[in-house]
Amino acid sequence: MTAGNEHIGQAHRRGNALRHLAGRGRFVTDLALPRMLHAAFVRSPMARGRIAELDVSDAAAAPGVVRVFTAETLNKTCAPWTGTLEHFAGMKSAPQNILAEGAVLWAGHPVTMILAHSRAEAEDACELVLLDIEEEEAVVDGDAALLDGAAPASEGIDSNLCFRTVLETPGLDDAFASAAHVVEESFTFGRHTAVTLEPRAVIADFDPSTGQLTVHQGTQTPYQFQDVYARHFGLPESKVRVIAPDVGGSFGMKLHVYNEEMATVAASLTLGRPVRFVADRLESFVSDIHARDHRVTARMAVDAAGTILAMDVDDMTQIGAFSTYPRTSVAEGNQVIRLMGAPYRMPDYRGRLSVVFQNKVQTSQYRAVGHPIACAVTEALVDRAAEQLDLDPFEIRARNLVADDAYPHVSATGYQFEKLSHQTSLAKLRQLMDYDTLRSEQAELRRQGIYRGIGIAPFVEITNPGAAFYGVGGARISAQDGAVVRLTPGGDVQCAISVTEQGQGTETIIAQIVADQLGVTPDQVKVTTGDTDTTPSGGATWACRGAGIGGETALRAGRRLQAQILAIAGAVLQADPATLALAGGAVIDSGTGRERITLAEIGRIATYRPDTLPEGCDNSLSAVQHFAPTGYPFDFTNGIQASHVEVDIETGVTRLLKHWVVEDCGRIINPLLVDEQIRGGVVQGLGPAFFEECLYDDMGQMTNASLADYLVPMAGEMPDIEIAHVETPTLDTILGAKGVGEAGTAAAGAAAMNAVNDALRPLGARISQTPMTPLRILTALGHV
Amino acid sequence: MNIEIALTVNGETVRETVEPRTSLADLLRDRLRLTGTHLGCEMGSCGACLVMLDGAPVHACLVLAVQADGQKVETIEGLNESGHVSDLQAQFHDRNALQCGFCTNGMVMSAQALLSDNPRPSRAEIRDALSGNYCRCTGYEAIVDAIAATADRRAGIGETVE
Amino acid sequence: MELEGSQTLAAAPDQVWAALFDRDVLAQAIPGCETLEQTSETSFSAMVKLKIGPVSARFKGDVELSDIDPGRSCTLSGKGSGGIAGFAKGAARVTLTPEGPQTVLDYTADVAVGGKLAALGNRLIKATAQKLTGEFFANFNTALTHEENAPAA
Repeated sequence: MTAGNEHIGQAHRRGNALRHLAGRGRFVTDLALPRMLHAAFVRSPMARGRIAELDVSDAAAAPGVVRVFTAETLNKTCAPWTGTLEHFAGMKSAPQNILAEGAVLWAGHPVTMILAHSRAEAEDACELVLLDIEEEEAVVDGDAALLDGAAPASEGIDSNLCFRTVLETPGLDDAFASAAHVVEESFTFGRHTAVTLEPRAVIADFDPSTGQLTVHQGTQTPYQFQDVYARHFGLPESKVRVIAPDVGGSFGMKLHVYNEEMATVAASLTLGRPVRFVADRLESFVSDIHARDHRVTARMAVDAAGTILAMDVDDMTQIGAFSTYPRTSVAEGNQVIRLMGAPYRMPDYRGRLSVVFQNKVQTSQYRAVGHPIACAVTEALVDRAAEQLDLDPFEIRARNLVADDAYPHVSATGYQFEKLSHQTSLAKLRQLMDYDTLRSEQAELRRQGIYRGIGIAPFVEITNPGAAFYGVGGARISAQDGAVVRLTPGGDVQCAISVTEQGQGTETIIAQIVADQLGVTPDQVKVTTGDTDTTPSGGATWACRGAGIGGETALRAGRRLQAQILAIAGAVLQADPATLALAGGAVIDSGTGRERITLAEIGRIATYRPDTLPEGCDNSLSAVQHFAPTGYPFDFTNGIQASHVEVDIETGVTRLLKHWVVEDCGRIINPLLVDEQIRGGVVQGLGPAFFEECLYDDMGQMTNASLADYLVPMAGEMPDIEIAHVETPTLDTILGAKGVGEAGTAAAGAAAMNAVNDALRPLGARISQTPMTPLRILTALGHV
Repeated sequence: MNIEIALTVNGETVRETVEPRTSLADLLRDRLRLTGTHLGCEMGSCGACLVMLDGAPVHACLVLAVQADGQKVETIEGLNESGHVSDLQAQFHDRNALQCGFCTNGMVMSAQALLSDNPRPSRAEIRDALSGNYCRCTGYEAIVDAIAATADRRAGIGETVE
Repeated sequence: MELEGSQTLAAAPDQVWAALFDRDVLAQAIPGCETLEQTSETSFSAMVKLKIGPVSARFKGDVELSDIDPGRSCTLSGKGSGGIAGFAKGAARVTLTPEGPQTVLDYTADVAVGGKLAALGNRLIKATAQKLTGEFFANFNTALTHEENAPAA
């Protein structure tokens, strides 16, 4: 009675894509509710200061304005939130509330909320608010923030050190002492941000007559927000419904708690009518979480044969005035120091992490949390070691990558790897990119004064996280996901599941998986996601779990329903259920494949004639399943990327010629969607490698907060991306799938940085700062 | 000081009274509820709000509603119903040239305008034509593929996608 | 952000000098000035409504004159906060040089902006600041000549 694999592994197209192509997307920004008010915020123009005067009387009297809230009138409705977790021992962060109280802590900190009949009227009224702030010295630079006597970046903290930790193996000092070569480098990874095309959007709708709060929110984690709103506003969980309809991009940015969303809920609770907040692009830049912002010094010890002995890493990361809630702003740095050297046999390691407060927008988890930093640092040092030893970049990696038959393996930082395929991937990449031809072409072109570079970067990706990620630290962030699979009376299938869709194809792969368990086609499976009232509670979308955890949940739910259907069929047909199977929309004889009874007939009998079934026969036609990983704490994936670039040494402009990825995400459910995840991820890695940076002046002002000034990767600058796969399924689950959402982003920047440095090598120049802008490349070349 | 305007939107005559500052995008989205036109930056950088104004793509966030007075506007809803882009839509679907779908309206507008001006564009020309369309999800390659394939099909090369 | 420029004003240096300290002249000259109060011999407090690109706001600002070399030069330092729009602060060194019946006013200013003003990028701000400075001096010149031509009260 095992189900077939007719649809798992196939490139099914996304049904929901057809709605978008027809202009029928349903985003929160498209929703209009009766009596809805529009919110706009007056924000602090200063990075640090005290509110000396706040006069909202003119604004309150402005046309169309219904209510003006300040901290005094809004914050009391909400219990403050604090972005710390217990498993990050000793970390601290000040409590936060909705609107700035007394102190303003970053340029963009919301001070006043204005509600009007239209956003335009609310914005007009913002201009009438008189806000006078006594400026104080802002903490802008992380290193300066740690000096003795530095002013604290927020109230109620005694220093700007949010968290510090050290990982160290006992053999570290000996490894460096005995090394034939030590290479070292300092790196700066710029601050960038998610720039989802749909900005953050929320409509809170509180109905005082029933006590029901419904929040329509462009988020990836509706259950988390249901819990947050219930707890912080003192509502029963059953009275809080969060609906995430179509979401215009998320990438980790839309799972954090923001002042504006809390304000919108608070305002609706106070006024008893729908309140809408949609960030404009400028607001997005000064209130959406930013990412990265690391300074890393690192060294690597290698022996005379090119064997990597150890790495010693110090990461200082700058996170804004608060740690984000509820996931903290420490997780990124924590992953940076734990992912260093992860693909290699390297036995010894020391990683130091300092997480530092400053008066800027908060940084926190964004796609491929920590991975791009760890990968870029590791791979830059591996390339430098190769250079010292005169080894080819492929050769040094072949000597050091963990062998494919050496699993399970534990990294120097303590990560447990079930089974990875680094060596196979390395060989496959070499063939895919035709490495030897590229190298001879490169040598030929150099003679003509054309500087091309080739860079490679193996990586591991953390996927399928269990409770070790947040749950053990006390965060109410679900490690499990849930699904309910039903057979309708007409014989169709419905699956309501907690993992959510932001365009990655979650609904499609869930339909494929369920279809295979029930012998139907994916288009016969209607998948519902993103509504806390109609789907079971679960983690939803974070840290790469849709396919690996959501898929396994759906598979197991499907199998439960399969067993129930076969039991009903056995009763109806007077047959042993073990001799029956599901295929082609019917119950079949598993030996002969002959159709015995259709699913529609099972649905009809169980619904309209349950009296004909034996006593105690389960005719619910529905199965519920919750699943959380119980084996390894995470299922790691691996892969390797290569970048081919041409640097114009006169202008410093880098042209991206081609990019390759070999990726092993375990069982592939839908190759079309897997490749799309990888390509999109690669571009999100290349963006910050070359263009994206939130630029701040020395007063803590972001100076490029618009899409005219902040450069995002566009079609003309991005290369074609060729992809190949290795499939090493995890044995932790029946499905065997791992995640693929972060893979592209994890190593694209690392490969690109190695490629640029390969191009610059004959000129004796190196770059170790992202984004690698033309100016920085010219500076590295000594031309400016 | 509101102004009365009359324009044709997706073949239907529309009369509205608007403030001088009302953008075409706000008119389409908020008044006419044509929400297939999206707003991503409100400064003409991202391309999510592209619509056809008398047959040429414009940023609906930068055009004032009063400027569209007397003109013909076509949005994604209209293009979809007309069937004029059904081959593009089919290629986008087949190649999964969209993820979240927020940029898709603008991508289809730019693609349609490109193929009208240059029926056989090179990949570089396609990428160039998308220089004002931001997509955070796909990495662009599938979009380029979909437009190239549509150009091929329109030139009678290759198979059509159902 | 640094700004500098030169303006030729249709009045003698001592008239220009007096006008720089004249509440009424300044009130007419400052673009969008709603109120202007003289808070001491060398300081003013102003409420100004400005539109800078897409941002419009009321600024509350204080201006202080210092390093005074009567009739020749002084430093104007000020801070204006415009709520939603942000703030601007800076200092300008103003030098007056006679040129026939007229006066050449040279200024060099170092201005810092914050909030929306900063976020929208210095390119826009610089152009706007130059435009506003131009407006100020045009108004200042008009007020000067107007005062000069007005019958004594």
